[in-house]
Amino acid sequence: MDIGARVAEARSQRGVTQAQLAAATGMDRTALAKVESGARRVAAVELVAIAHELGHRVEWFVEEPSPSLASYRGAQPGVAVQAIDDELDSLVRDAEFVTAHCPELVMGQPDPLPYPGTAEEAEEAAATARRLLGLEAGCPAHDFARLAATAGLLVFSVDLGEGADAGTVLLKRGGVALINGRRRVGRRRLAAAHELGHYLVADEFSLDWRVAATETEGIESRLDRFARAFLLPGESLRACWREWLADADETWRDAAVRAASHFGVDMSTLARRLVEVGLVDRSRADDVRRVQTKQADIVEKNLVVRDDLAPVAVPRPYARAVLKLFRREVITADRALGLLRGTFDQASLPDLPPAPEAELWDVTS
Amino acid sequence: MGRDIVSALETAYVLDTGPLSNFAQAQWLGVLKSVLKDHRVLIPDVVAHELRNGCDRHHYLRSVLDAAWIEQVTLSSPEELAAFVHYERLLVGPDQRNLGECGVLALAETLPSAVAVLDDRVAVEAARGRSVTVRRTLGLLCEAIRAGLLTVPLVSALADDLIQNDYRLPFPHGGFAQWCEREGLFDTP
Repeated sequence: MDIGARVAEARSQRGVTQAQLAAATGMDRTALAKVESGARRVAAVELVAIAHELGHRVEWFVEEPSPSLASYRGAQPGVAVQAIDDELDSLVRDAEFVTAHCPELVMGQPDPLPYPGTAEEAEEAAATARRLLGLEAGCPAHDFARLAATAGLLVFSVDLGEGADAGTVLLKRGGVALINGRRRVGRRRLAAAHELGHYLVADEFSLDWRVAATETEGIESRLDRFARAFLLPGESLRACWREWLADADETWRDAAVRAASHFGVDMSTLARRLVEVGLVDRSRADDVRRVQTKQADIVEKNLVVRDDLAPVAVPRPYARAVLKLFRREVITADRALGLLRGTFDQASLPDLPPAPEAELWDVTS
Repeated sequence: MGRDIVSALETAYVLDTGPLSNFAQAQWLGVLKSVLKDHRVLIPDVVAHELRNGCDRHHYLRSVLDAAWIEQVTLSSPEELAAFVHYERLLVGPDQRNLGECGVLALAETLPSAVAVLDDRVAVEAARGRSVTVRRTLGLLCEAIRAGLLTVPLVSALADDLIQNDYRLPFPHGGFAQWCEREGLFDTP
């Protein structure tokens, strides 16, 4: 690993000049230039300051990224690195670290599903995925991160601003998906279901700018279909839709509000799915797309408000594994807090028991 | 000169910020120097940096940096940085504490024969299974008692400070002296 090249890479990504970085880290500019060109070794104390200034951990400069991330970067040399790329890199390192010390976090990875070549195959893949994740027929897929973790996919959500929707990296065991928490809940869940598709067909790396954008074609559009079929299983949607419409006091709008809440999807996804399964025509689908769930709906229809994958979200089994490493004193409290990405503070970590007196001989020897 | 003495002289002691700070605050750097007189005493650059940063608030830290017998070592070889990162993964989080421990362990394990002196329990655990020997502040203090440089009550007071600083030592406040008495340690024959 060429540390100097990594320093130069990280510096230019942040849009910082050598002079600025040198000043911020208390280094001599010519020394920094020599470090970047490989003419001079960097001292640990300098690297710590550089890492801090450029928003990376020291390991980022010293250790190679995961092979799947590296091959993706190699294939797209001209593409500027985005927030999601950095965040995924860091999540992949953390997840690899945690699973290395706590292998039970990822029990296994299902055999890859065949790439869906048609819409029908995407529907079949969604049905298979629902079975794999232990979802009962027709049951809504709530608490997405918990479900995905049963198949070895760790789904995180972080606010990435206006960047990409989601990305997934296949690990040695299992995988990591990152969802842009900036999107609303329905879009987050749709993106997560789309990433689950990438994971189950064993795509090494995927980065999705806009899940379910109308212009997508080929595998992306079939994974969009997979995602809709996963969240809105056709048979169950049909049965519910008919049942809700059968109520004389309710209209198609009420049914749409109930369906979006029941299955945890946004109106646009619901509208598309209703057409796909033959429940409404295109004109009614446009109406559904414009529906907004009001507070009155939540109260009158007694809807449960769920904020699945609200940022920052870490999957429960991952958090449990981190706490286990903290309890076993494999990692410090501060490292645990970092791995938990701000979802915990010092006071919410478990108290450790007093050291056993038998250790006195060790301590004093 | 016997073989044992030669190997003792070759053993380097690599000290962390915490233990050095404890010795310096108690004005026992001279004691530490006597205890380690047969050894090279080293600090990695990251520890020197932590000490320099602490000088403004804790003037006694300056005495560590000024001590000619404490050598500062820059970690920059690929092996040293790889070891540093190994420990960073276990010990360092967002607030950047424990970088000193990482430097101490990285330097100690890349030297042919070295002892790391640190007190953090996780750092001690992290060294298990790696080629590093670890000793704690109290180990060196007990050696000083044996050498007649310090007394049990003096060390007991410092041990209590260590407990307060949350090193989770295996005895309660005041427990060190009681333990020494119970086990009959340091009894004069």
